[in-house]
Amino acid sequence: MASRRFVPSPVAWFLLPWAAVYAAFFVFPFVFSFVLAFLDYNPLNVANTRLVGFDNFARLFKDPAFHGALRNTLVFVIGTVPVTTALALALASLMRGKIPLKGAFKAALFLPSILSVVVIALLFKLFYAPGGALNELLARFGIEGHGWLTDPRTALPAIMAMDVWAAIGYYAIVLDAARTSIPDSLYEAAELEGAGAWATFRHVTFPLLKPAIAFVLVINTIRSFQVFIEVLVMTQGGPLGSTNTLVMYLYDTAFRRLDYGYASVIAYAVFLLSGIFSIVAMRRLRPESAVEGARPL
Amino acid sequence: MRGARRVAVVVASAALVALACGKKDTSDRIVVRFWQFWDLAVIEPQVAAFEAQHPGVDVEVEQLTWATGLEKIQAALASGTQPDLCELGSTWLPRFSYDGVLEDITTVYEAERDSFLMWESALWNGRAYGLPWVQGSRVLFINRDLFRRAGLDPDRPPQTWDELLTASQKIGELGTGIYGFGQNIGERYVLYKKFMAFAWGNGGDVFDETGTVVLNSPAVLEALEFYLKLAPYSLQEKQEILDQYFKTGRLGMQVSGAWNLKNYKLEAPDLDYGVALVPKPAADHGSHASFAGAEMLVVFKASRRKEIAIEFARFLQAYPQAKQLSLAAGSVFPAARAAMNDPTFMSDPRVRVFVEQSLTSRTTPAHPGWIEMEEAIDRAVEESLYGRRAPRWCLDDAAKEVQQIAARFQKK
Repeated sequence: MASRRFVPSPVAWFLLPWAAVYAAFFVFPFVFSFVLAFLDYNPLNVANTRLVGFDNFARLFKDPAFHGALRNTLVFVIGTVPVTTALALALASLMRGKIPLKGAFKAALFLPSILSVVVIALLFKLFYAPGGALNELLARFGIEGHGWLTDPRTALPAIMAMDVWAAIGYYAIVLDAARTSIPDSLYEAAELEGAGAWATFRHVTFPLLKPAIAFVLVINTIRSFQVFIEVLVMTQGGPLGSTNTLVMYLYDTAFRRLDYGYASVIAYAVFLLSGIFSIVAMRRLRPESAVEGARPL
Repeated sequence: MRGARRVAVVVASAALVALACGKKDTSDRIVVRFWQFWDLAVIEPQVAAFEAQHPGVDVEVEQLTWATGLEKIQAALASGTQPDLCELGSTWLPRFSYDGVLEDITTVYEAERDSFLMWESALWNGRAYGLPWVQGSRVLFINRDLFRRAGLDPDRPPQTWDELLTASQKIGELGTGIYGFGQNIGERYVLYKKFMAFAWGNGGDVFDETGTVVLNSPAVLEALEFYLKLAPYSLQEKQEILDQYFKTGRLGMQVSGAWNLKNYKLEAPDLDYGVALVPKPAADHGSHASFAGAEMLVVFKASRRKEIAIEFARFLQAYPQAKQLSLAAGSVFPAARAAMNDPTFMSDPRVRVFVEQSLTSRTTPAHPGWIEMEEAIDRAVEESLYGRRAPRWCLDDAAKEVQQIAARFQKK
């Protein structure tokens, strides 16, 4: 046994392209940016790269622009993720009932997910513009128009509303798919016990959907911490920094200010934050066994 | 069987790798790599002309986009795959000069100095690092119809701040949904260009000759206070919305660039508009200043084809070529002074204004930290427009911030 030569399985050859791409575009940047975090690195002047120790990390704590971006990002995550999840869950629960043209309904829900974020952002930029669809609609009710994206008070909420709209369908479909795997017998039992719609949801649907909800929360949290393209297209962080998010700030720091070291630190901050939030979400929604979960409490 | 399959996979991978690495043999030709932002259809005739004059030289042109070009150039410099010749916006260039990646072309500058405008951004520590190629100033656009409706003379656009304010007010009072003046807000790159026109016109600036920050001087404060006076009659929006309002006849005046000449012809052929120099503070005071930006040509220090690259840059920059490019692009003018005497430009009353404006226009300070400094100016103007704080304090803070940015670049 010990003398047998190691022969890689042919499967390894097929994994190779993926592994190579993963190493080149994920592992390498991940490690490289960790190294950058300790350097003063400017791509225009690589020769003058200096080791600065923890200086870049220390800057995080006294940088008001970072604090603003952190606050905006937290508002974005806390304001969108629960709303999106709750609405997606409600939609998925609705789909259990008899809906005419259910297939078309599902397809319509999923539609925003196949559009590029840039396309959605450009459309909403028009939608929110003065003279755009939203203001025209409000005008019909006698409400005066508003520059939604040029007012520091409404710019971030406007982008958040768009994000909820764009994300909800995808997660509703994911939750609906998970819901269809709940055996009908459980619903029949609930019905026999005389459980109403809320009790059925509370004691059958919700507990059995917990793993799927955890997935939705984690994916959506990670995605929301990285909110960037919407901001870049719609407001570039303005007005007055009211929509400046962590990744927007990271992008500016690296590509406009050429401060790659500090930008790497910001990247790791985003990584840590989304990691912590995801772990908390997963802990809270740790799956229970089907029987246990279905038992009326 | 298993072995055969493995061989097949290896052969296929090797073939792919060979395919990816395959390059035509160019050993006996001089290849000049040129990165630029124009449509290839616009630039290629000039490349062909240069190649025809220089047998043995191949120019490889690549088109960058304004959205991602700067990142691509940075990445290329970091990995040593930069082109020989490159186009850079005048507000970017100082950072490249400061970081020492550009070839010093002071000798070319000394020979050409008097024939071209727009050198400012290329100069750093008394040396020159770029060649002005094409340029564009912002001018005042007026809607002649709205002028008539407001009882103003469309053939006499506002010359002074007072006239600008009166015209804005009269047009702004025509009815709801019609605005006198357009003020940029909520986006990058544009706000400071519009505001600094007023500050420069009033004798204000970001730095004085000694390099001291004077952004909070009385001259700049006065300009900001005047700018705020326009606010009640102004539409405060992003540039594309301002353009949309102007095109549809709902905006009386705005300060904007030459690309509109082309756009309005296509998108609003019936729009009756005129252009004028940006108004100055008073008939007996100040100047018709405005923002001017330029496209600059730079040669990278690491290039192995510097001589031919500089020659190519001078060829592109020369008046006949720059004129051809300007006419094809329809949004810029040659940086060469010869344009001032060319009837092609000077016989069109609108185009003439652009060329005349460029004589009193200003460029942003040639400072490597400019991109951060412009954000400080944007913030000061926006905070004042939103009524967050008194203009004086906004400018004090902006001046302090500019000072800190400048200090950071001095330290290194």
